[in-house]
Amino acid sequence: MVTLSIDGREVQAEEGATILEVARDNNIYIPALCYHEEVAPYGACRLCMVEIAANGREKLVASCLYPVEEGLRVKTNTERVINNRRMIMELLLARCPDSEVIQDLAKQVGVDKTPFKLEDKQCILCGLCVRACEEVVGVSAISLVNRGVNRQVASPFYEAPDACIGCGSCAYICPVNAIKMEDIGDTRTITMPNPKMKKIEFKLKKCKVCGKYWAPERQLEYIARIAGLAPETFDVCPDCRQ
Amino acid sequence: MEKYAVFVPKLVTRRENFAPGHRACLGCGEALAVRLACKALGQNVIIVSATGCMEVISTPLPYTSWRVPWIHTLFENTAAVASGIEAGLKVIMRKGKRLAEEVKVVVMAGDGGTSDIGLQALSGALERRHDFLYICLDNEAYMNTGIQRSSATPYGASTTTAPAGKVSIGQVTWKKNVPAIAAAHDIPYVATACPSYPFDLMAKVARGAAIHGPAYVHILSVCPTGWRSATDLTVRIGRLAVETGVFPLYEVENGKYKLSIDLPQLRPIQDYLKLQGRFRHLSEEIMKEIQNRVNEEYAKLKEKVACA
Repeated sequence: MVTLSIDGREVQAEEGATILEVARDNNIYIPALCYHEEVAPYGACRLCMVEIAANGREKLVASCLYPVEEGLRVKTNTERVINNRRMIMELLLARCPDSEVIQDLAKQVGVDKTPFKLEDKQCILCGLCVRACEEVVGVSAISLVNRGVNRQVASPFYEAPDACIGCGSCAYICPVNAIKMEDIGDTRTITMPNPKMKKIEFKLKKCKVCGKYWAPERQLEYIARIAGLAPETFDVCPDCRQ
Repeated sequence: MEKYAVFVPKLVTRRENFAPGHRACLGCGEALAVRLACKALGQNVIIVSATGCMEVISTPLPYTSWRVPWIHTLFENTAAVASGIEAGLKVIMRKGKRLAEEVKVVVMAGDGGTSDIGLQALSGALERRHDFLYICLDNEAYMNTGIQRSSATPYGASTTTAPAGKVSIGQVTWKKNVPAIAAAHDIPYVATACPSYPFDLMAKVARGAAIHGPAYVHILSVCPTGWRSATDLTVRIGRLAVETGVFPLYEVENGKYKLSIDLPQLRPIQDYLKLQGRFRHLSEEIMKEIQNRVNEEYAKLKEKVACA
């Protein structure tokens, strides 16, 4: 255990934990969009910047990546931090002006308009979908491609990815709800926030007993393969399975 | 929301704000519902808990299962206490003692505390437009005190105060439609949920908490003790309640009805009733009567959805 102070409060934390985790455990508010406890931290959104005092100097660090140290002094609401946060929020607001999540978060940090030129993107490039696809699902169907202003989430060659199993983890984890998933009849459609990519469609499996469409065929094939089950296991949906 | 399979459950937060080790019965659907709801709510909540199963099982002195601020109230004043807390929070904000994040007041009450004893306070709080979320955990009787009937008990169910026998079939009145009463207050959000559909439940609780103004979520929680059903069938019975149309899952957002799970065809009611001892005595005729009523109610709901 190490002892550190956040906003003047002495807190105990386990070694190896990050500042953001410790702050959230102690109900100290630090906004963040690209952080999720189940995937490795990445430091993309920069909203979680905090000020730490080290060697007599104060510096800004991303709290989702910075591990706690003994005697660390963290401040989450100095003028420098708040200005930084506001600037990032203004940039995000200019990038995704239609996103409800961004609007709410902007209001919370005290930003209501942005001086920058408005764009109409939906994705904030936090990379959560890409990391979840790789770390949690283990298929890496999508990735962040290109650099700088051309950076985007895409599948190889912008085509419907062969590796994708249609599980919807990316749609679930997206912090700004930019990835859409919909089941209509026997097809599941996943729409990525990338104009170059078409909608990705999946055929759903029909239950032999009740006739309900219940999961994408490719996902069931994948689960059967990694779990070593017979493909017939999934002919019947969980409701009808005895 | 319900179509997420194996991978999305891995992404749900691991933090348990409703701690394990409480004293719920085996196979309790209500404990499951509270656990999922607490995961969806996060840490910035104040829970106002009415007397009932959840209060009794989670706080045997000197222990508690709650890792969030929690206050116990009587049956009748739960919504009133929640309104008071919400008003207090507003005053703190107005006086400039700014809280970093908005704190949500969440009520958790049983069906007795909602549809019988607490209805007047609930109606008042909804009418005054307090910013709070009311979660009704409906196990269809006063289970905590020994399975006495409430107005949420369904027709034909045998309870200790409405026993089935030679004279009576058990409960002789139909279940009170509390979500419709809540929706009649013209509040921004009303929903029904069931822990057998965990993602749907979590999404609805999170939606209700995010909305400014009153929100009401009605959760059907299977009670193996009171329903006289097998403890390992809790999740299945919850799903059957939805699939037979006994407890359809829907949302009402600003007066607009939307079905969460649209069933092309309802299962026969027997699938649901046969698994529960409280309906064991029902004759074919009564089951037919119940089936007709369920069909009628479902058709009415479909009409409302079509109107929106």
